[in-house]
Amino acid sequence: MNQSIDYNALDDDAFRRLVHDWMVANYPEELRFPPERMHWEQCGRWYLKLAEKGWLAPGWPREYGGMGLDANKLLIFMDVCESHGVGRTPDQGMTMVGPLLIQHGSAEQKAYYLPRILAGEHIWCQGYSEPGAGSDLASLRTSAVRDGDHYVVNGHKIWTTLAMDANMIFMLVRTQNTGKKQEGITFLLVPLDTPGITVRPIINLGMHDEFAEVFFDDVRVPVANVVGGENNGWTIAKALLGHERIFIGSPKFATLAMYRLQSLARAVGLFDDPLFVSRYTALKLDVEDLGAAYRRFVAVLKRGGHIGAEVSMLKIWNTETQQRITELMLEAAGESAGIWGGVATADGPVRPAGEFIGSRPTTIYGGSNEVQRNILAKAALGLPG
Amino acid sequence: MEDISLQAKIDVLSEEQVLIQDSAVAFIARDPELKQVRANRFVQPGFDRGLWREIADAGWLGFLVPEDEGGVGLGFADLSLVLIQLGKGLVPVPFVATAVLAARTLTRADDAALRAELLPRLIGGDWLPALAWQEARASLDPTAREVVCTNGRLHGTKCFVPDAGGADAFIVSAAEAGGTALYLVERDAPGVTLAFEQRVDGGFFAEIRFADTPVGKQLVAPERGAAVLAAALDEARFAVSAELLGVMTRALEISVDYLKQRVQFDKPIGSFQALQHKAVDLFIQSEVSRSVVLQTAALFDGDADAERRAVAASQVKARCSDAALKIGKDAIQLHGGIGYTDEANIGLYLKKAMVLGAWLGSASAHRARYAELTLGGAQ
Repeated sequence: MNQSIDYNALDDDAFRRLVHDWMVANYPEELRFPPERMHWEQCGRWYLKLAEKGWLAPGWPREYGGMGLDANKLLIFMDVCESHGVGRTPDQGMTMVGPLLIQHGSAEQKAYYLPRILAGEHIWCQGYSEPGAGSDLASLRTSAVRDGDHYVVNGHKIWTTLAMDANMIFMLVRTQNTGKKQEGITFLLVPLDTPGITVRPIINLGMHDEFAEVFFDDVRVPVANVVGGENNGWTIAKALLGHERIFIGSPKFATLAMYRLQSLARAVGLFDDPLFVSRYTALKLDVEDLGAAYRRFVAVLKRGGHIGAEVSMLKIWNTETQQRITELMLEAAGESAGIWGGVATADGPVRPAGEFIGSRPTTIYGGSNEVQRNILAKAALGLPG
Repeated sequence: MEDISLQAKIDVLSEEQVLIQDSAVAFIARDPELKQVRANRFVQPGFDRGLWREIADAGWLGFLVPEDEGGVGLGFADLSLVLIQLGKGLVPVPFVATAVLAARTLTRADDAALRAELLPRLIGGDWLPALAWQEARASLDPTAREVVCTNGRLHGTKCFVPDAGGADAFIVSAAEAGGTALYLVERDAPGVTLAFEQRVDGGFFAEIRFADTPVGKQLVAPERGAAVLAAALDEARFAVSAELLGVMTRALEISVDYLKQRVQFDKPIGSFQALQHKAVDLFIQSEVSRSVVLQTAALFDGDADAERRAVAASQVKARCSDAALKIGKDAIQLHGGIGYTDEANIGLYLKKAMVLGAWLGSASAHRARYAELTLGGAQ
């Protein structure tokens, strides 16, 4: 699975051209700027095409089949994809489980799971939140009781993005009820076709079945599917949250929103309005400056360093910037702000209502921004509890 | 005061940079109560000549002057480590105006012999030139129009020249056939009149009138003058942004410290979530600013062309001006009533942010310039 090409050796412009030309030639025109998260039936073929090209996991090390891009090349890759309207695939294998296994998985787990992610054979979803455990994740109650070389899992997960398209779930379960609540949690990898699992879609404010609930009823999971050892799940989960927060702290989504705003503003002639240009530029700089901060954090990872709770600042900045961009899209759209169909532009239709609604959960998921601020107050500023 | 920035946690400094930073930290640690600032406030020339000599001895004035011109030949990343500390300590010296703006204009002077004469005097701290380029409020335009040079005589008025009261000479841009030329003008040349405006931070801006003033040596010919000024101004915009980063960082450190000490309702006020979230937002502002300063320093130390430098200078000045002002004013709010007194030092940081945030272009002026330089394709 080793990739032979060293993309970092290319100069920036050549790399940008290479990625751009390939995306233009290969990304399906009808999937450009999708208004909502794509289901597997829409984007599965594209996923497999990326897999075949070796471009599914731009940030993974080359030895595991990733592109091994440095922070700068990663941002260029992202920018090219967002400017062309390349939609997001069910990517939790690449952005979350993969990096986690590379860091904490056993040799057998790496050898088994990583190639299956890259081949598109395993599509992952995340089983963290529960109806009673949202921001206070450690109070989760889904239980796993040891029975020989299996666990028997019972419980209820919620906000599971694209669970209906996945065939694997990584989840947190309670394996111990004594001591601190963080101490009795285990990180488990579970095939979704295991008997006893039911997936039920949830319709969100965008009228889209992006989330699901997942129910576990006496589900038997091999003990070998634990990552990092029994009752070590909280440590593993925190490491994974680090990956998640650097991913959702990347300028990817704000960059995409900025391109949509730009297409909309061109279409309705707003670049002649100095007031609009002033607000547009302020947002553009908020995105550019986020890029500077993101590069600084990614450089730590590339040096093999450790990123602490401070990375939350990226998540806060990115998601709140993205929301402000979509709010300006609403204003720019006039009455079209209130319709699903949106505005025709040279780059296809832009749907301000969908963009605005779609950006609402970003400040809630991955630990709400208020919880992130609580964490930063203690971890970064040393303020008292 | 504890350093709460992420530098120690996530950034990498070279051994030489650690030494530079340590010496700057030690320099400002000698005046923790900001007595020097208060001693020089509202008194001409608004800065301390003794401190200036000590800074010269530290070698910092020559950082951006090439070694073969008598300087130290270091880069913008190195210099920013000094500037951040000067900002933290509110050190009352015209560092950016002299060691960046004037010095980087002089390093681009046409005549090598003239450079060899002037630069070592500047670096040694014996000679302070002030650059007089600006002709209108809120102008970013380096082209001279109001001040005209005819037959070797200057006419017209320059404005917002910082700390000119202590200057030994002026570098003056002037319109003449072929463009904008730069001349050296002696402090006591005939027909030079200075009118001062007191700045809120205790220093002074001067309006300088030239009436039939004979010019000294020509530093830069009219064909190159505007481009030389533009380049030096963008470097100074980066430098003042780094100084602003120091100002905002220390204002935040002082405020966080206060949140831990101040007790109300039987608890440190820093335990209240409303204040914690405000403080975190200021922390994020300061670290985003630091990220942009680091990125811009690397760009200025590289081989980027003039336009990319201009874009980067506007990006960093817009961010740091905004962030320093926001942190400065919210720091007053976090302090409550004591923050509104002249006695408390936190107000000195707000006032410095007001002056430096506006000097060489405000945040909104630089966002407009950024838009002009980059939005061609977007529209």
